Amino acid sequence: MKKANILWSFFSSVKLTLVLLCLMVFLFIVSTVIPQQNIAPEFTWLADIYHSKIFYLLTAVFSLNLIVCSINRWPVTMKQYKSSCFPPPSGLFENLPKNRIIVTDKKMTDIERVVESLLSSKISTWKKTATETETLFYRERGKFSLWGVYVVHLGVLVIIAGALMGSLFGFEADLNLAEGEASNTVQLAKGRGTRQLDFSIQCNQFIMEFYDTGAPKTYRSDLSFIKGGQVIHQGSLLVNHPITFEGIRFYQASYGLAEAGKAVLAFNHAGTESPEIQVKAGETFDLPVHNAKATVLRVEENMMQMGPAVKLNIETDKGNMQLWLFQHIKEIAEVNPGLFSEVPMFNPGLFKPLVFSLKRTEKQYYTGLRVVKDPGVPLVLIGGLMLLIGMIMIFFFAHQRVWILVHQETEGIKIRLAGRSNRYQEALQRQIDHFCVQIQKELTA
Amino acid sequence: MSHTMLLSYVTFIYFAAFVLYLFRMILQKEFWGIAASFVAWAGIAAQTLAMILRWKASYNLGFGHVPITNLYESLIFFAWSIMLLYLIIEWRIKNRMLGAFVVPVAFLIMAYASIAPGVNNSIEPLIPALQSNWLTSHVLTCFMGYAAFTVAFGCGILYLWKYKKEAVGSDTSGWMAHMPSLDVLDALIYQSTTLGFVFLALGIVTGSVWAHYAWGNYWSWDPKETWSLITWLIYAIMLHARFVRGWRGQRMAMLAIIGFVSVLFTYLGVNFLVSLHNYI
Ligand code: HEM
Repeated sequence: MKKANILWSFFSSVKLTLVLLCLMVFLFIVSTVIPQQNIAPEFTWLADIYHSKIFYLLTAVFSLNLIVCSINRWPVTMKQYKSSCFPPPSGLFENLPKNRIIVTDKKMTDIERVVESLLSSKISTWKKTATETETLFYRERGKFSLWGVYVVHLGVLVIIAGALMGSLFGFEADLNLAEGEASNTVQLAKGRGTRQLDFSIQCNQFIMEFYDTGAPKTYRSDLSFIKGGQVIHQGSLLVNHPITFEGIRFYQASYGLAEAGKAVLAFNHAGTESPEIQVKAGETFDLPVHNAKATVLRVEENMMQMGPAVKLNIETDKGNMQLWLFQHIKEIAEVNPGLFSEVPMFNPGLFKPLVFSLKRTEKQYYTGLRVVKDPGVPLVLIGGLMLLIGMIMIFFFAHQRVWILVHQETEGIKIRLAGRSNRYQEALQRQIDHFCVQIQKELTA
Repeated sequence: MSHTMLLSYVTFIYFAAFVLYLFRMILQKEFWGIAASFVAWAGIAAQTLAMILRWKASYNLGFGHVPITNLYESLIFFAWSIMLLYLIIEWRIKNRMLGAFVVPVAFLIMAYASIAPGVNNSIEPLIPALQSNWLTSHVLTCFMGYAAFTVAFGCGILYLWKYKKEAVGSDTSGWMAHMPSLDVLDALIYQSTTLGFVFLALGIVTGSVWAHYAWGNYWSWDPKETWSLITWLIYAIMLHARFVRGWRGQRMAMLAIIGFVSVLFTYLGVNFLVSLHNYI
């Protein structure tokens, strides 16, 4: 029992809170100033403080502190909340400054009317009790603000719970998709391997737009969500506009050049030019002669400093043949006369009777999606709202109580004003001063 | 007149207001105080106009956005918030002595915005990550918070100074006597700190919502985020120390100053640390 008491008072101490908060501040500062590399092995945890045991321990002690404090404090607040205005706190009307005591020769009923009209307002309630010689008025405001502290502290706990839930049951991953590609395998963050989703995501199109200044304006991926071979959902993914599908959120996070670019080529057959053919590495297309097929082996943006090039493998009944197509083959041949006899592979007319030409290569982009599941988000959001609401309750309102005692004495009737506020005393004192002036004015009028 | 021209005039207007507040303090003639307030109000009116013009100018360039999206614009807005808050307080407590301590901060920020290297004052279109209303509310609330902390800082300095003077029993009959009393300063430190605390909390929450929509993480322990939390916790420590342990006066003033240093670091210092945020 004794031990429990010691533990209880340890955890209910606000000194502990202050120490813990200081420790956290210290830890956070350290985490932002230490370099991420070159740390001695025994301090590697410092590089990842937020997943270290020390941080978890600190958070746990902090939460416990908060819970115990709140439980401890509850009866006190309850008492304040329930505390009735009658009788007023002892000593309330002692040592009042001069201006807080108004002496008047007016009738009791007149005085009461003046005080009542003064106290009537929408945002507060007032009451009175009367005996033969005195009437006590009582006005109360902002009683609910007493609970603000609990709302704030509970909010902090809810946020911690939400963060914990996210780290236990959520995941974070990346998914790179080239245009046209579909996948259901995402790359977990921090090299934790891969994860299969119950559905595939296909990138139909990735679009970038730029301002005139060259700064990026839009990144957009048009995605299809496919389950059981059927497109269930389609949507455009933009930065700041994630898509949620089956509890998993997708973000436009990055983009990059896909390894395989696209080549646009054509061939000339007996003086007529074929339509343009768009192909990627690995793709095959038919040729109109010898029953031949061409397969694209490589697509290069800049082959040996000679510009865009494509390597083809041409397959016929008689065997295979490989050739390189350069976009700028004319210029290359001009500076290197005799090129085609030295390197027949570079001759676009090697496969007779066709003459190939490479029109251009096109860069192909992949879109980088961030894939996140975090079931803790609603909790964190609720916690954040509680934090804000609680703070507004605490700081923008105060529990203000004002007593006005009207008492019959030998010199006449004395009106005494006094008040208590749990916060912003000055504001209440100003208000009471204002009451005094008003009462004087009304009574003399 | 262009908004940049107008803003450079505003810098000088704030400087003039600062000088007038100094005159008020040293010469102890309310005439100077009234002149100072007048100039300060004129300054903030001109600045408001300039900000609206800048806003409009961004629409004329075809990519309209609220003018608080880069360092330059945020500095301007910071100075604006400080002046607004200060003038409200001046009007509430009917004392102009604080002006000599708070207005120069606004002036220095304006001056820094216009002369510091690396502060670009052109209107830039927004990159995709910044195209969010949450960002606007995030910046607005953060800077209102910073402004409140700045006022608390000014009051803290003044408190310590006045406290020292009174402690050594030196003559406080002169202009020192016209300063707000230690009690009023203490209350001002507390009230502006609570205001800043609420606004910074709002700023952190809206920032998290923005991060949630933009990157999928409401919190990623980026140095800037971490420092805003550090700042917030310092003020939480301060409020607990006062409310629960009854700290007052000098200690509160010290904490207000420490908190402000943390604010400055959150705002500007963090840029010297490596940021982990790598996104489009
Ligand atoms: C980040 C965490 C915390 C935040 C944001 C927070 C916030 C607050 C706020 C805003 C107040 C009102 C202060 C004022 O009126 O000036 C307060 C009061 C208080 N806090 Fe915390 N608090 C936190 C952690 C804790 C912890 C861990 C404890 C545990 C002991 C604690 C105990 C108290 C107590 C006892 C009060 C006074 C309540 C009263 O007298 O009505 N706080 N807190």
